[in-house]
Amino acid sequence: MKKKSKNTLWAYLCSSPSLILILLIIIFPILYTAYISFTNMNVYHWFDFEFVGLKNYRDALFVFDSGFLSALLRTVLWTVVSMILQLVIAFVLASLLNIQNFRGRRIYKTLLMIPWAMPGYVSILLWKTGMFNSQFGLLNQWLEKLGMNPIRFLAGDVSAFICCSVVNLWLALPFMIMIMDGALQAVDRSCYESAVLDGAGWFQRAVYITIPAIRQIIAPSVLITVFTTFKQFDVVYLLTCQSGARTGANIHTILTYAYENAFITNNYGYSSAISILIFVILIGFSLLTGRRKKER
Amino acid sequence: MKLKTSKKIRRGAGHVCLHVFFTGLCFLTLIPVLYAVSVSLNAENSLLGSNFRFIPESFTIKNYLAVFTDYPVMLWFKNSMILAAATLALSLTVGVPAAYVFSRRRFAGRNAILKALILLYSFPSVLSMFAIYKLLGPMGLVDNRLGLILIYAGTMAVFALLNMKGYFDSIPQEIEEAASIDGAGSLQLVSRVVMPLARPSILVTAVMILIYVWNEYLFATTFMTGAENYTLAAGLYSLQATEISGSWPVFAAASLVISFPILLVFFAIQRYMTSGLTAGGVKG
Repeated sequence: MKKKSKNTLWAYLCSSPSLILILLIIIFPILYTAYISFTNMNVYHWFDFEFVGLKNYRDALFVFDSGFLSALLRTVLWTVVSMILQLVIAFVLASLLNIQNFRGRRIYKTLLMIPWAMPGYVSILLWKTGMFNSQFGLLNQWLEKLGMNPIRFLAGDVSAFICCSVVNLWLALPFMIMIMDGALQAVDRSCYESAVLDGAGWFQRAVYITIPAIRQIIAPSVLITVFTTFKQFDVVYLLTCQSGARTGANIHTILTYAYENAFITNNYGYSSAISILIFVILIGFSLLTGRRKKER
Repeated sequence: MKLKTSKKIRRGAGHVCLHVFFTGLCFLTLIPVLYAVSVSLNAENSLLGSNFRFIPESFTIKNYLAVFTDYPVMLWFKNSMILAAATLALSLTVGVPAAYVFSRRRFAGRNAILKALILLYSFPSVLSMFAIYKLLGPMGLVDNRLGLILIYAGTMAVFALLNMKGYFDSIPQEIEEAASIDGAGSLQLVSRVVMPLARPSILVTAVMILIYVWNEYLFATTFMTGAENYTLAAGLYSLQATEISGSWPVFAAASLVISFPILLVFFAIQRYMTSGLTAGGVKG
């Protein structure tokens, strides 16, 4: 018994620096955010804020044009679209890379990894100026060559959403290709041979052999990607709503929406309520997926 | 015999198609990067003309020189390196023992803490940014390097702990038991057996922290005002060309200069990347 408590003490002693740091920098700010979310703290009430109960939460959830619900819907749409495109494209490309006796796949793989290796914000800014800008942007230069007027791609809601999706796809595909590629190499080749003898085509082989075989292997990585896509901030923020350089499109995801309410319109109480709501959604989602995993 | 050769020819033709497809795809993928390379090296500033080509007619390095002479890139680099080194030192010093203990010892509260950490790992730090700002302000840690280091180290502490714990879990405990039967003391055990075994995981964690600090622009621009405190990311952020102002060729050159070290590091540790990224996130 004594040994056991000594063990516990020793364990906490060793891990306390790390746990204290996490407590101070992560947990305490989250608790403070929760506290702010019940107040009317804003730029006019920096110190003399008062408690307003659940008003901020009511404003976010039940006021129809609050912007939060539409941002949430948009984020879900964004996640679904991105994930479907990523999974399909990565699966096709990884399958092609794994065709037998295909030489030079290593070179192609390395080249296709470059978008992942580049610092994310650099790539996004390069896309913003290099591709979408109405003057220097390559897309507009091509349009001009075709005799068309330049388009401000990031100004309209729909076109900006498409642009953001393309950039996000560009950033995220390499990781997915690599995961799929690794999973495909683990599939037993002999399964295919007998399927070919039975006259199964490429599509049938994919549906009946490959996908069931790799599903378990790629599941954790896919789950992580769902989370990162849902939490995507950089792409939307840098492309459309940098402070002082808004492009005119309003395609807030929940994260950029929370950020804008905190640092641009300075509605701290409201923004904190949004933050807590997002955190609750994320926790719910993690618990749900965690339980599903155990049941299997 | 004839059947075999025709099959061979068909497969050869298929492979040619594959090569054409992947060459095209790689080119298409790399267009934004290639465009930046080409613009930054182009001597004639014929950007607004419509006769752009990927290989410029004449080359220049004046945009790269401009990056180093017109802007304090070396200062930004120094700032980034100070932040990165301090963050790295802090988060590894606190992270390695914690990860080891959480992997090897069973103690009260262990499972609860691990579960909480996994939930915290999914919390994007942008959301509590304002609270951090308001908390650090009165302590004089806003606009202060130490404040940023604490934020970075704290943000990466969860990742470091979970990631390295996942790796320690994969090292069989028997190795340590054998060493302690052979008479190794705890200190010897850690320095001679555990550390050498854990080196790959510590390396990957360190590189991930380095890349994080190198790429972080939001906290760096919000918490540090004043151009003398710019990190590479904040500096590049301030350099970007907008619809009206700024020099796109210089920005392109600066982007490539800043990306280059990260590209080198990335490809050096690429084979560890997938496991490094996935092990911490979901393993319980």
